[in-house]
Amino acid sequence: MIKLESRHWIFLGLFVLVVGAMVLNISFDIAVTDETQRLYNLIDSLPEGSTLIISFDHEASSLPEIRPLALVVLRHTFSKNIKLIGTALLAEGTGVGYQLMNMVAKEYGKQYGIDYVYLGFKPQYIAAILSMGESIPETFPEDYLGKPVAQLPLLHNVKNYDDIAGVISIADGSLTTHWIEYGASRYGVRVSAAVTAAMMTTYDPYLASGQLYAMIGGLRGAAEYERLINRGGAGKRGMLAQTVSHIYVICLIVVGNIVYFRAKRKKRSNS
Amino acid sequence: MVAFLMNRLGPQIICFVFGLVLFAVYFSAHPVARQINTTVLVDYWQIIFAFTLIIGVISFVNLSVHDIKRGHNRFYRFISLFGLVIMPVFAVIWGIKGDSPFMWMFDNVQVPMQSTVFSLLAFFVASASYRGFRARSLPATVLLVAALLTLISRSSLEGALPSFIAGTADWVRGNPSMAARRAILIGIGLGSLTTSLRVLLGIERTWLGGEK
Amino acid sequence: MITGYIIITLAVTASPVAWFDTGKTVTLIAAIISILIVLYTTFHKSSREKFKVRKIAGLRAVEDAIGRATEMARPVLFTPGWGGDIQRPTTIASMNILSHVAEKTCQYDCRLVYPTHDPVIMAVAQEVIKEACARAGFPDRYRENDIFYVSSSQFGYAAAVEGLISRLKPASIFLLGTFEAESLILAETGNINKAIQIAGTDSTIQLSFFIVACDYVLIGEELFAASGYLSQDKSILASVRAQDILKVIIAMLLILAVIWATINPDSTWWRF
Repeated sequence: MIKLESRHWIFLGLFVLVVGAMVLNISFDIAVTDETQRLYNLIDSLPEGSTLIISFDHEASSLPEIRPLALVVLRHTFSKNIKLIGTALLAEGTGVGYQLMNMVAKEYGKQYGIDYVYLGFKPQYIAAILSMGESIPETFPEDYLGKPVAQLPLLHNVKNYDDIAGVISIADGSLTTHWIEYGASRYGVRVSAAVTAAMMTTYDPYLASGQLYAMIGGLRGAAEYERLINRGGAGKRGMLAQTVSHIYVICLIVVGNIVYFRAKRKKRSNS
Repeated sequence: MVAFLMNRLGPQIICFVFGLVLFAVYFSAHPVARQINTTVLVDYWQIIFAFTLIIGVISFVNLSVHDIKRGHNRFYRFISLFGLVIMPVFAVIWGIKGDSPFMWMFDNVQVPMQSTVFSLLAFFVASASYRGFRARSLPATVLLVAALLTLISRSSLEGALPSFIAGTADWVRGNPSMAARRAILIGIGLGSLTTSLRVLLGIERTWLGGEK
Repeated sequence: MITGYIIITLAVTASPVAWFDTGKTVTLIAAIISILIVLYTTFHKSSREKFKVRKIAGLRAVEDAIGRATEMARPVLFTPGWGGDIQRPTTIASMNILSHVAEKTCQYDCRLVYPTHDPVIMAVAQEVIKEACARAGFPDRYRENDIFYVSSSQFGYAAAVEGLISRLKPASIFLLGTFEAESLILAETGNINKAIQIAGTDSTIQLSFFIVACDYVLIGEELFAASGYLSQDKSILASVRAQDILKVIIAMLLILAVIWATINPDSTWWRF
């Protein structure tokens, strides 16, 4: 028989609360932050026919948080008739990116090869970013489906980052840093990001210095963006679970401190 | 002598020359410089990467077989080897696109398993918060208050609470937190610079297996 | 082959683009100044002699951590994290500490387990540990099977190392390198299994997790100073001094830019 320790009860409490919140499915209206508005404005201000690179720089594990972020960005870009080039700098993001792009493209009646292409995965991310700065067709001679880039009309006028309006890195780790350090600083391409909530503070210095143009983060960022494009989604739905878990952690911190001070007082009175 | 050339001097010379070439190429926009960049980064690097994967797979298989023979974690080792074999087989026979078995395994086995491990983070954050955020001293109390404000501001509760809470949380994130982060980043940048130079100049040779 | 390729390219390219990209002049000047300072502090004899590094608690605890594992007859686990590859300075800095740790574990005949996500890191770590065992005078204590590749996938790697920690129950864990989201999973598992944990990374977000869950944390540049600190090599220690000189220069430039921007908000020279 396993003896349950305090951490097991903490885990159990979190599990029950999050599952309960997901079942309830209540959504809130939340205020839009400046950083989310900035990404929205960037995409909104691009002229029709501009080309963006959307890079799926994440693992399969973070899909519950990444998927709502990717969907809002894809929906907004396709609705503005912006052409998209999909890439992936992590192998596991490749299949996910392809499925999401195809799904949203179908919603907006976009045609593969003309309105969007998916170039797939390139190993060694730093090398891939630098190499795309020299030549995208040389870096990806074929698309994800194995079709030569010469047969993809969208890429006929795209040589390197000079022909791209910007890069949006959808990431769950530090890969966006490489886009900033190599893509933006070396080739001057405008880099924006859609990242998991835990990674947001990592990118704050880059955002403040302007090296990162715009950023949305976590379920909250997705929920804010869903509000901007007037479309519900997993971001809005997930906010209750997130709020409940935040309150739970706050309660744990308070309880932890009560336990700590009581133990301290007891120790003092004993001595 | 041959071993010294192969294991020490040779790699050191290659490291220095390529480091110098890529440093010089960085400051040039000339097509030749860019071509060298592409050749080194795309062709050479990718070829090396492909070979390293083979080393990884061989090591993994060796270790698994070794453990199976000794009866260590036999069940897990069999499952690992099964995964290692079955995914390439699926990929070779049916490809990796669309509705292929490879993608089915990816969507229905790999994604849920990875998401499960990722979700452990939430549980560990909860237990670490309970244990770690104690008001032991004044700095610890400041840290604790900042954490509470940030947690509230990133939830849906901010609308129901006074606006100064979200404002203070944003200020903490945008000023003291960012200042500290920048200072650490500058230190890391300079540390990376000196480490890289030590490696290029051969002062630091631990990466070749031996110290100076 | 490459020489021929370059010659052909040079011959056929009569590009009007200049060889030097003037947009990078400031970067070049900054790089040259940095390199000169590093070279001066490293090779100037009197500059090297005067220099001492302050005590770093995390590095002082290395020997205690290995001693604890030896006394408890349990292994030491060392992981470089999932985020880096061998060309990353953090990984190289991590290798420097590994070399020291491996030498000590070999001396004390303590098992050292090194799981990694990158085959190149694995190959380099094998060489580093083999050399360390030879240096310690016990080449026969080198166990190649304890330095192994587990998975390139982030959470595959995290699950594998977490499993190792739970099963092997190492007395001491070194989490030194580039970490991402797996950091808290590994550090908390180590904490639950009551291991002494020494961590260090260049990832600022993961530092906060390590501070909560580990016993000692090397913050950012301390990781890079570790090699000199542990080996007491004068050349390496001197290059650490270069970092401080550069830091002072950067701080002075920052103060100058702040004053300038305050007096003349329209000025732009400092925004290069």
